[in-house]
Amino acid sequence: MTELSIPRPAAARLRSLDTADLSQVAIWVYLAVAVGAGIFVRLWQINALGFNSDEAVYAGQAASIAHDPELSKFFPVFRAHPLLFQSILSLGFQFGVSDLFGRLLSAGFGVATVILAYQLGSQLYGRRAGLFAGLFMALMPYHVIVSRQVLLDGPMVFFSTLTLYLLARYALSGRAAWLYGAGAAMGLTFLSKETSILLLGAMYAFFALSPSVAIRLRDGLISLGIMALVILPFPISVLLAGRSDTGGQYLVWQLFRRPNHDWMFYPSEVPWAIGPLLIVVALAGLWLLRKERSWRETLLLSWIVVPALFFQLWPVKGFQYLLPIAPAFAVLAGRTLARWSVDADLGSIGKRLANAWVGPVLASVIALSLLIPAWQRVQPAQTDSFLAGSGGVPGGREAGAWINENVPEGGQILTIGPSMGNIVQFYGHRKAYGLAVSPNPLHRNPAYEPVDNPDLLIRSNELQYIVWDSFSADRSSFFSDKLLRYADRYHGRVVHTQTVTVDGPDGETQKEIIVIYEVRP
Amino acid sequence: MIRRGLLIGAFAVSAALFARPVSAQGPQATTPIEHFVVLMQENHSFDNYFGTYPGADGIPEGACVPNDPADAGAGCVEPYWLGTDPSRDLDHDRAAFLEQYNEGRMDGFVSAVTHGSSDGRGAMGYYDDRDLPYYWNIADEYVLFDRFFQSAGGGSISNHMFWVTGTAGVGETIPDEGFGELPTIFDRLEKQGISWKFYVQNYDPTINLRHQGVGDRASQVVWVPLLNYARYLDDPELTSHIVDLDEYYTDLERGTLPSVSYIVPSGASEHPPGSIRAGQRFVRTLITSLMRSDAWSSSAFMWTYDDWGGFYDHVAPPQVDEWGYGFRVPTLLVSPYARLGHVESTTLDFTSILKFIEENWGLAPLAGRDAQANNFMTAFDFSQPPREPQFLAATRGEESRLTANRALVYAAYGFAVVLPLAVIAWALFGRGTPPPGLPSGEMARAGGRRS
Repeated sequence: MTELSIPRPAAARLRSLDTADLSQVAIWVYLAVAVGAGIFVRLWQINALGFNSDEAVYAGQAASIAHDPELSKFFPVFRAHPLLFQSILSLGFQFGVSDLFGRLLSAGFGVATVILAYQLGSQLYGRRAGLFAGLFMALMPYHVIVSRQVLLDGPMVFFSTLTLYLLARYALSGRAAWLYGAGAAMGLTFLSKETSILLLGAMYAFFALSPSVAIRLRDGLISLGIMALVILPFPISVLLAGRSDTGGQYLVWQLFRRPNHDWMFYPSEVPWAIGPLLIVVALAGLWLLRKERSWRETLLLSWIVVPALFFQLWPVKGFQYLLPIAPAFAVLAGRTLARWSVDADLGSIGKRLANAWVGPVLASVIALSLLIPAWQRVQPAQTDSFLAGSGGVPGGREAGAWINENVPEGGQILTIGPSMGNIVQFYGHRKAYGLAVSPNPLHRNPAYEPVDNPDLLIRSNELQYIVWDSFSADRSSFFSDKLLRYADRYHGRVVHTQTVTVDGPDGETQKEIIVIYEVRP
Repeated sequence: MIRRGLLIGAFAVSAALFARPVSAQGPQATTPIEHFVVLMQENHSFDNYFGTYPGADGIPEGACVPNDPADAGAGCVEPYWLGTDPSRDLDHDRAAFLEQYNEGRMDGFVSAVTHGSSDGRGAMGYYDDRDLPYYWNIADEYVLFDRFFQSAGGGSISNHMFWVTGTAGVGETIPDEGFGELPTIFDRLEKQGISWKFYVQNYDPTINLRHQGVGDRASQVVWVPLLNYARYLDDPELTSHIVDLDEYYTDLERGTLPSVSYIVPSGASEHPPGSIRAGQRFVRTLITSLMRSDAWSSSAFMWTYDDWGGFYDHVAPPQVDEWGYGFRVPTLLVSPYARLGHVESTTLDFTSILKFIEENWGLAPLAGRDAQANNFMTAFDFSQPPREPQFLAATRGEESRLTANRALVYAAYGFAVVLPLAVIAWALFGRGTPPPGLPSGEMARAGGRRS
């Protein structure tokens, strides 16, 4: 337990922000409620829909590390990203590959992040702010959605929040051990997903803009050295496995690939996912409490601005890429509400009571504004369109299971794109090629294999099935049409159809989302 | 025993219920095999293809064939992996066989080829799973025969004749007048009303006994013995059974695959210097197409090689008559009833194929050879339900690399987790104050202390 004793007006405020009117029991109860709510929304119907493409790839890699005899044929261990999360997942897969286990592990990281957000808020602005931050993280749709999936971003955000927490501890205490710990945690953040390396920029910005937080060069270098040591297994294992070319190709591809979303992607998607009200409150606090500005806000803002700016400029965009900024927003919003509660005019009993309740009431309103969309998003939606990273794919698991049971072992499948191909491979245990995979190495993920001549493969009985899906067709009508032409040309016979019930102008209708054709030369 | 009896009983009932030949006429098969397909490829010995296959009677340790059997000081040649070396057409006629066989001493493989004005070393080359991944995969999952001999110690003509008639015909020549009334297995099938076809890749009906073609195309009359029978050429009904290979695929699709199908290749025969990879693709297409058809569950597909092609094989063939046996040739069987990954070592030859057909459909033997030949029924397990089709890959697995990868990943990432845990634990539980003179740390600046 930490007790601050700061003999200055600012320090007095900090103390009052901490535990002035909250007993230890109350803190535990509130925290348990926040964590319980976080667990509930993360586990609700968590496995109702099967994996999406990215989930299939990461779980497939974990299965390969666990030496699953079926999946290791389709998912090479070394692809693009480091393997920290996949390695942890593979420990569970030693007892059998389970999509449910994968998602539970991811949700576990998510819940742990909620607790870390509480700790971070407590360290920076006191327990009350910490509790608000934990509650917001627990219910925030952005974090709820991502941490229910087998994605690298959930664990990455856990470790990045840990880094943030350890940095705060360093700034508070000046003990170099915290800085070393931050370096180690940053290394784990990188090993979760290498794009997080840009958070080093956020750290740099924080130290550069916070002259009050001094750092000795030697400590900084040791911290960086520890980070490098933690990161080192990634390139070394890739090198020893003879897969350094894959890493190089992936880098080239990432650098030169075409933009996959427009400039308005993040502004139009992320605020709604974080919670507009939460963002407003966080920003309002920054403005209203601007006279109290300290390194704390600089730290959190650096953690928000650097990734947001980078990914806004970077042509490749993904729904979950900005997730590391979520805890910082939650803490800033928590700060505003906590401050509001205790720093009000204490002139009359009525005002005191009112002010005492403003923060919790407003926090409840924000929590509700987060819970409603989060609750909607965790329902197993039946839809024929799909945003990558936003959840499971309806019908994918069921179609894969049908393939596993009915397509002869060794059968090969052509899909519109590699996304459905990954799902087919994970659940169907059959090789799948994406028609949309470019034959130009600069324009394709090097992990994917292009189909140079589908006609030849079908004519020589190498490809026996074609899988059309509405999600991929939505993204590329060109390749959808092309795939269907192959089905038509080679006597395609529909052998299985997956449908969902969708609401239309004429009420509920059954819509085909996945159609499997058998083709013959 | 009761369980086994129940299984057999259940099998017998289901076989009786579902057995339905494509042709409504003719006798029922005596086994669940209602469609038998046999392909004759060209010119490889068993050791040339499967000499290093685990569990089979392959190249013996320390094998080394003398350059000159008459001169012990002339050195010897050990078997070697052919790899990407260009394949050469070695001598493989009757004279070459006799010299290589050398009255059972099996020491003339190099010298016979050398005498045939080629580099004798080439006879000692072999392939393995790097070159023949699909065939080795088939052997892993179905049946490989390691005592299957070519019927005659000679070339293509006599061996194709054994395949069809159970006799050598007249040796390595085709009589001008053809083979007359020499009975064939197809005569037997036709008489019993059992459906059959002889599928010929790139079939040219104008090439036959009377117009034998030139160059490579001339092989059609060698590989399709029926084209050397005037009575087959002159009878439209019989001629209609000799068709282009395209019909094999349409028959599979339409469910009209006959009871007995003979297949011969054209360009994809694997005859050196032809591509063995092209041969594998060809065989794979044939098998995959069969597996995708309704006929699969009641079929058997066998392929073999008409002669050894001049390549080394270490097993001295038994001599059952004036013609042979010749050396061992690669032979494999794919069927839903084939034993799983089984190496069958019953002594067999091309007339064993006739024997199987005769026993399966209750036909009389054609000649002494097939009457006395062993069957390969032991390669099947009819007590098991038919196996699901399995499209085997044209590549081999990478088991060892995967295992190595796993150890590497766990070691590397285990270190990466332990190190941060230790550092963070030190930060959490260790004691320490900011270094003197460092103005960092809000608590330090404020004079605060942790408790």
